Amino acid sequence: MKSKFMIVFLKELRETLREKRTLGLIALFTLMYPVMLGYLMNQLIERSTRPEREGIELAVIGAAKAPTLMAQLKQKNITVREVGAMDEQAIGELLRARKVVAVLRLSDQFIDNYRAMRPARIELWFDSAADKGPQQRDVEEVLEAYGANVASARLLAHGVSPATLAPIQLQRYDTGTNASRSAGLIGSILGMLFFPAFVCGMSAAVDSTAGERERRSMEVLMSQPVRAWELVVGKWLTAGTLAAAGVTLELALAHAILSWLPLEEIGLSWSVTGGELALVCLASVPLSLFAAALQIALAMNARSFKEAQSLLSFVVVVPLVPGVAVSMLELKTATWMYMVPMLSNQTLLQELAKGSEIGVVPFLLTFASAALPALAAVLFASWRMKSERYVLAV
Amino acid sequence: MIEVHEVRKQFGAVQALGGVSFTARDGQITALLGPNGAGKTTLLRTLVGLLRRDHGTIAIDGVDPARDPLAVRRNIGFLTDQFGLYERLSTREYLAYFGELNGMDGAALHKRIDEVSDLLAMDDLLERRSKGFSQGQRIKVALARTLLHSPRHLLLDEPSRGLDVMSTRALRHALSALRRRGCCVIMATHVMQEVTHLCDDVIVIAKGHTVAQGSPQDLCRRTGIANLEDAFVSLVGTEEGIAA
Repeated sequence: MKSKFMIVFLKELRETLREKRTLGLIALFTLMYPVMLGYLMNQLIERSTRPEREGIELAVIGAAKAPTLMAQLKQKNITVREVGAMDEQAIGELLRARKVVAVLRLSDQFIDNYRAMRPARIELWFDSAADKGPQQRDVEEVLEAYGANVASARLLAHGVSPATLAPIQLQRYDTGTNASRSAGLIGSILGMLFFPAFVCGMSAAVDSTAGERERRSMEVLMSQPVRAWELVVGKWLTAGTLAAAGVTLELALAHAILSWLPLEEIGLSWSVTGGELALVCLASVPLSLFAAALQIALAMNARSFKEAQSLLSFVVVVPLVPGVAVSMLELKTATWMYMVPMLSNQTLLQELAKGSEIGVVPFLLTFASAALPALAAVLFASWRMKSERYVLAV
Repeated sequence: MIEVHEVRKQFGAVQALGGVSFTARDGQITALLGPNGAGKTTLLRTLVGLLRRDHGTIAIDGVDPARDPLAVRRNIGFLTDQFGLYERLSTREYLAYFGELNGMDGAALHKRIDEVSDLLAMDDLLERRSKGFSQGQRIKVALARTLLHSPRHLLLDEPSRGLDVMSTRALRHALSALRRRGCCVIMATHVMQEVTHLCDDVIVIAKGHTVAQGSPQDLCRRTGIANLEDAFVSLVGTEEGIAA
């Protein structure tokens, strides 16, 4: 004969799996994150591997008026496309097509003004919405350098040192690389992979406790020859199974995507093997069970499905806090981190991704740090369900 | 046989049961009469061991529900004032769930489900999910759940509410059959006609106390009133609660 909690478990599981809409939402949530993560990583990689001045294309109206400037632009790898006279509208359309970074227009009096040493006007037309700021700045730098050169030559001709025009010399150094920026991010990104533990089992936990109470079937169930702990354990295992399935699916999908991306390009690595991933999944099962137990223990006290849901949506955020705090404070990995549920899973995966040799202890600590509070929450929920106050409220 | 002696139960300052005593014999249908708020639900919950009494003794076939609630519940079919159906399960799955919780399984369980379904004339409901069931259909399913594990004792909280004429008759036949088999049935109800037709014994409780116990004829004789409803009102000592 099946044990009582197995009977409850199988019934709750069957009922939950029949709730197609909730199940679809859970699946969507689980699958969406790794896919989004992969897409963002891919963009990051593409941006960082793109050559510096590849494909800066500049349209110039009246290029023949300033051959030296054109030569200098070409020296800086800027492709000059000569175009005929255009009005404002035509320039706008050309920019909107996003083929060129900007349009230079040399005024008709350019040559006359240049010769007479009056400021000769060059118009720079650009579309600030096109997100081509760096390329546009390159063009401007060439223009400034050109202007400075001409000015120096003119000053020299008058016997003045061009150095008088430059009282200071500014040199810029950018030490930020894509790699160092994304290294800080990766911790919380990996932590989010364990989030399904708190989301996937939630509706089952709420429905089988607060929902059952709201539909007034809890009293009937409690007056069957079943012990309170058998009811709690059956319901707990249902929510825990769904949560664990969600985490495992999410990790497997993320593993597939991250192994496929050339992460080295942005200074990250994913050197997790299939076997290690299986161990991480196994060590993360208690996290799912802990989340489920916590949700059951809290949701059973709510009078209705809705009340329980709003209560739990607050609780769901709490496990994210340690992980985010640690990656924001940029703490070094320490053993205590393996003793905080959620943070332990995140740290474990982070270390494995780096390819560190960590041994067995972190796995065991991760397992135990969630398993013990899970059991405590189940004990509490069983004690609570047996109490007279709970019976009176159902 | 259910024997209750001087049972009291207090919630904070409220005395829900102030001294309830009665005996419900096997092979009899015992009506539990009392105005709303008299303590019927508290009494029934105490009988199945969901609540602990503060004082007094309870013996259900000699077993104390406070000592061994599981043994008592295995022998009790409890129909609460709520049906407790699951909308996503078919009636057969629902009955199978509660059958398994009561230690039945396999072919025997499904044979018993068919038997109970015959008894209550609800074959058409068996393979349907309970979403959209009428009040009468719901109570039939709940009643089938109550009878499924062939308990020796039945605690029924208003079993006939919402039933149409045919279903009420089916229920009456079912209860008579159970009586013939020697079951001990306690039925809380507000329908006096049912009490007169069906019940062998009547317990009247008011404000948490047993006011009287005896056959319907006994109660009429004792109060000197020919009509059971008027006799009940006179025993309870107030008009309230009769509207139902």
